[in-house]
Amino acid sequence: MASDESIAAGEWNRANSSRSIPACLRRKDDGLAVVADGVVLIAATRDDIEFSPRVGSIPRRLTFPDGSVFETRDNDGVDAWLRLHEGAPSGFIHGLEAFRLRLAGFALAVILLAALIYRFAVPALVEVAVLVTPPFVPDMIGSGVLASLDRTVLSPTHLSGDEQAAISKGFERLAAVSEGGQGAYKLEFRDGGPIGPNAFALPDGSLVLTDDLVRLADGDQEMILGVLGHEIGHVERKHSLRQVYRVAGVAALILLVAGDVGSGVQDMLTQGGAIIALSYSRAAEAEADRRSVEIMRDAGYDPTALARFFTRLEAATGHRNETGMLSTHPGTPQRRQEVIDYANALGKRAPAR
Amino acid sequence: MTVMDAPPVAAGRFARASFAGSASEYFGIWIVNVLLTILTLGIYSAWAKVRRKRYFYGNTFILDRAFEYHARGSQILIGRLIVIGALIVINVLGIIHPLFTLVTWLAIVIGLPWLIKRSLRFNARVTSYRNVRFDFVGSTGGAFVAVTLGGMVAFLSLGILAPLASRWLWRYILNNLRYGDRAFGTDPRLGALYRVWLLPALLFALGAVAVGTIIAAAIAMERNPGGPGDGFTVFAVLLPYLIFLALGLAGLIYRIGVRNVVLSAALLDRRHELLSDAPRLRYAWIAISNFIVTVLTFGLMRPWAAVRMARFMNEHTGIRINGDPGEVISQIEASGSAVSAEYVDMEGFDFGF
Repeated sequence: MASDESIAAGEWNRANSSRSIPACLRRKDDGLAVVADGVVLIAATRDDIEFSPRVGSIPRRLTFPDGSVFETRDNDGVDAWLRLHEGAPSGFIHGLEAFRLRLAGFALAVILLAALIYRFAVPALVEVAVLVTPPFVPDMIGSGVLASLDRTVLSPTHLSGDEQAAISKGFERLAAVSEGGQGAYKLEFRDGGPIGPNAFALPDGSLVLTDDLVRLADGDQEMILGVLGHEIGHVERKHSLRQVYRVAGVAALILLVAGDVGSGVQDMLTQGGAIIALSYSRAAEAEADRRSVEIMRDAGYDPTALARFFTRLEAATGHRNETGMLSTHPGTPQRRQEVIDYANALGKRAPAR
Repeated sequence: MTVMDAPPVAAGRFARASFAGSASEYFGIWIVNVLLTILTLGIYSAWAKVRRKRYFYGNTFILDRAFEYHARGSQILIGRLIVIGALIVINVLGIIHPLFTLVTWLAIVIGLPWLIKRSLRFNARVTSYRNVRFDFVGSTGGAFVAVTLGGMVAFLSLGILAPLASRWLWRYILNNLRYGDRAFGTDPRLGALYRVWLLPALLFALGAVAVGTIIAAAIAMERNPGGPGDGFTVFAVLLPYLIFLALGLAGLIYRIGVRNVVLSAALLDRRHELLSDAPRLRYAWIAISNFIVTVLTFGLMRPWAAVRMARFMNEHTGIRINGDPGEVISQIEASGSAVSAEYVDMEGFDFGF
C-alpha cells in the first residue's frame, strides 16, 4: 500500500481545464499519486510523469499521461523525491544558477570572454562581412546618408562655379592615382552649417566638402586637396563600412548574448550605434593621413599639404585642438608631426615621380 | 473535494498581480545564460531565452496562480536558424545579382504583417495560466492595418495621429487574443488616448524647440568666429544625447499612458475587467534609472533592473472577476493534432510592442 507521506501540496487540473482541485502529491509504489480528500485523482510511475525543469523557484508542473497537471510551489519537496528516484541530481543548470560565490567567478569569466570577443572575434567577423558585401550596399548606404544629411544639417554650397571647378580639377588628379581611379569618387560641395570646416567620405565614394573648410584654406588649394586625399584613404580602406559593421556586430552580439537588455539599452544599441558609426577610430585616421601623403605625392602635389591644414586648424580653433567627440581622433599637433615624418620617410625611400 | 475556478476574492475588488522573483536569484540564471551562450557560440541563447521567459512568467502571480511559458529551446533555435538561413540566402543571391536582394527585401517588407501575426500567435500559444493556453486569432490583413498602416499614419502626421495608430494596434492585439475559449476585448476611447498623448507631445515639442535653438546658436557662432565658442561646442557634442533623452522620455510616457488606457478599457469574457494604473512619471523614472545603472555596470546590474521593472509593472496590473468565471477550456490542444506542427513557428521575431 502507498505511503501516506505527503511530498508536496499544490493544485491539480484536468487536461486543458482551468478548474483546479487543491491536492497533494504522495508516493505510490514506484511512482506518484495526486490525492485530494483521500481520493486518488491520478497516479503514474516516475517515467510516465513529465517534470518541468526547475527555474529559480517558479511553480513546478508535473504532467501526467492523461494530460492532467499537478502544480506546486514546493520545488524542494519535488526535488528531494526526484533525487531519491533518479539517482542523479535534477537540474544541472539550476544547480549552476544558485546564488553562491561561484557566480562571481562566472561574472569574471563573462567579462574576460567579452573582452576577448571584442578584441579578436569582432574584427575577424567585420573582415568577413566586408569581403562578402555586394558592391551596391555601400552605394545604398552612401546615397541614403547623404540624402538624410541634406535634409537636416547640410545646405547647398555658396561657392562660385569657378572655385568649385578649380577644386574639382585638382581632385580629379588625386582620384586618378588612387586605387579606385576617377570613376570611384564623386566630390560634393555643401554648406556644412553647424558642422563647420569639415570633409567626410561616404562608403560609396562620395566626398563631402564644406564651404567653411574652403574658407579656412583661404586660397591654399593644395591644403584642401590634402584633406580630400585623406578622405580618399578612408574610402579605399572601406573605413566607414568597417565601422558600420563593427557597431552593428557589437550591438547584435550584445543582444544575442545578454538576451534581454531592456528597451532603453536596446534603443541605444540600435539607434545610438548609428551616431558612433559616423566617427572613425584613431588607427583609421592615421591610416588615412598616411594615404593622403602618398596620393598627394603620386599626383605631383606637396605631400605635406595635410600638415598645413592641421596647422591652420589649430590656429583657427585656438586651444580646441584636441578634436574628436570621444577622443577617437588623435590630437592635431601629433597628427601633423606624423604626416611630416611619413612624407620624409617616403621621400628618402624613393623620389617622387 | 473543493473545485476552484478562481480563489475567493472580495467581490468588486481588483486583484493585483505580483512578482515573486528576486534580483539575486535572477542574477544566477542570467549570468549562467550569458556564460553558456558565449561558450556554445550562441546556440544556447535559445534555451537561455526559455529559462529567462519561464522565470518571469512563472513569477508573475495573479489570483494565486502563476503564468507558464512553454516554448522549447529547440523550437526557438529552429526559428532562429530559419531566419539566419534566409539572411544568408538573400546575401548570396545578392552577390550573384543585386536585383535579387532588392526583390527579397521588398518581399520581407510586404511580408512583415504576416511575420508579426505569426510571432504574436506563437507567443500567445506558448503561454498558459491555470493550465489553459492563450491563443491569437488575428489575420495578416489586420496586422497590415494595425502595424504598417498605423505606423505610416503616425509617422506622416508627425505623431499627431499617433493615438489613432495606437488604438488600431491595441485593438488588433487584444481583440484577437484568446484565453482558452474566452475572448479578450478592448475599445479604448480616442479622447482618453489623446489625454495621455498630451504630455509626451508637449515634451516632444519642447525638445524640438531646444534642439532648434542650439543648432541656430551654433550656426550663429560659426558665422562670427571669436564668439563664445566653447559653450556651444559642448552643446553640439551633447546634442545627440539631448535628442535621445527628450525622445526617449516622451516615448516612455506615451507608451505607459497608452497601456494604462488600453488595458483598463479591456474586458475578458465580456465581464472581467482588466486594470493598468502605472504612474507615468514613476514608470519613466524606473526605466531611465534602470538604463543608467545597466550601462554604468556594463550590464551586470541588468538582472536587478529587470526584476525591478517586472515588480513595478505587475503591481500596477490587475483584474476584477465579475461573476463566476466558470471552467475555461484550452482550445489549442483540444482542436486537434495538426496544431503541434504549427508550434514550430516563426520565433526570433520579437516585436517590441
